[in-house]
Amino acid sequence: MLRRKRLINAKRIVIKVGTSTLSYPNGRLNFRLIEQLAQVLSTLSQQGRDLLLVSSGAIGVGSGRLGLYEKPAGLSTKQALAAIGQAELIKIYQKFFDDCEQIVAQVLLTKDVITDPQKYQNTKNTLEKLLSLNIIPIINENDTVSTFEIEFGDNDSLSAMVSILADADLLIMLTDTDGLYSADPKINPDAEIISTVDNITPSLEKLATGTGTSFGTGGMITKIAAAKICSAKNIDTVIINGDDPAIIFSVLEGKNIGTHFVSGSEHVKNH
Amino acid sequence: MRIEIATLLGQNGKLDEKKMDRLAMVLSNLKNSGKQILLVSSGAIALGTAKIGFKPDLKNFTDMQAAAAAGQAELIRVYQNHFGTYNQIVAQVLLTNDIINIPGRMEHAKNTFDTLLSMNIIPVINENDVVSTSDIELDDNYPLALNVATIVEADMILIKYDDNGKFLIVHRGEQSSLLVNNENELLHELENSYNKQVLKEYKNKSFPSSMKEIIQ
Repeated sequence: MLRRKRLINAKRIVIKVGTSTLSYPNGRLNFRLIEQLAQVLSTLSQQGRDLLLVSSGAIGVGSGRLGLYEKPAGLSTKQALAAIGQAELIKIYQKFFDDCEQIVAQVLLTKDVITDPQKYQNTKNTLEKLLSLNIIPIINENDTVSTFEIEFGDNDSLSAMVSILADADLLIMLTDTDGLYSADPKINPDAEIISTVDNITPSLEKLATGTGTSFGTGGMITKIAAAKICSAKNIDTVIINGDDPAIIFSVLEGKNIGTHFVSGSEHVKNH
Repeated sequence: MRIEIATLLGQNGKLDEKKMDRLAMVLSNLKNSGKQILLVSSGAIALGTAKIGFKPDLKNFTDMQAAAAAGQAELIRVYQNHFGTYNQIVAQVLLTNDIINIPGRMEHAKNTFDTLLSMNIIPVINENDVVSTSDIELDDNYPLALNVATIVEADMILIKYDDNGKFLIVHRGEQSSLLVNNENELLHELENSYNKQVLKEYKNKSFPSSMKEIIQ
């Protein structure tokens, strides 16, 4: 329980939200959920925490804008839909964050941000500056120009990179299950949520079966991989169900919700 | 089509909604007439500064990038709203100038642009200031327009010259470009250029390399 309690003091938090959380199974956006997410994040920002939002969903939104509701095929179509959808998505986020009087910024990253030391430093400085101005950066991959799906692969690994880049205390990943289960709950009725993970072992990694929804690309495998990357950098990760963004508050009250991947870090970082 | 947001600012430094509306109308109309339009627009830092209410130190890279990140979100929203009036969908494409040098990336951008244009969408393009290491949205975004024109093999670059409806038409291979006084002249000239097959003649020549060259 002590390990959960330390989440209360998490100052700098990366929230990762995926397409499957932001949209209904039919591919259309869930505006109410986005509104709630904006309210929760704005409130946390008011508490004095630093928030960064990693959001996918551009391709799904772009498809919706054009009235296409099937998973698009072909790289250039995906990139075109991403260009349409990112514009639309950031507009919608701004609308809901504006209602909470919270300023947001848009940051689109390519992998060379990680590999090019100067770009790395620039981006790090920019994020730091935005946070110091109480602005919430909304981050996505720059799908239009990146050698798509080859660079970050999925937004789970992007969120881990962002957590490191921003020197975060905590990464919270919203997904469509309640956390990591001890077995596949669809098959095994005794399956339980694993509340705390101290070490990501090969057998634990085996528990994560890849899942794919209509528009999303991430499953539990990529989430555990992201948690592993964060853990190595002393960043805790929590995986929770994104259906009700208000449970982020409960996580930050130290309550036993979702799966907590514990890093070795004992102390809250100095920001 | 390249604009600097300065030509769209009113005297009070705020965006002039009428001018924005007019630009969206002219471009949507050109697109409807059968042209393929890509819009290169600066303005992220100006809008970001207004939005976050802090004055960035113009010599401080980080200040400028933070303002740009907040402002780009605002900029694309404003364009979406105005183009929306004319039922025109826009897309956002942020490029860094090194795109020309990174293998694969230029091709990806070209494919994306081609696909967007084939879907009748107007891409709105700006520098990805947050990650770029140089040329952060300086006064002159002609180099970016030139890069885009190169990537998509454009026939011409239009420059919104001032806020009185003047446009500069830059052809390939021409030392002196053509200044038109209003939207009618612009449309007329575009039709003429097209009919006279001037474009074909210039196909293999390059655009002027800088604004300096054009103004001369």
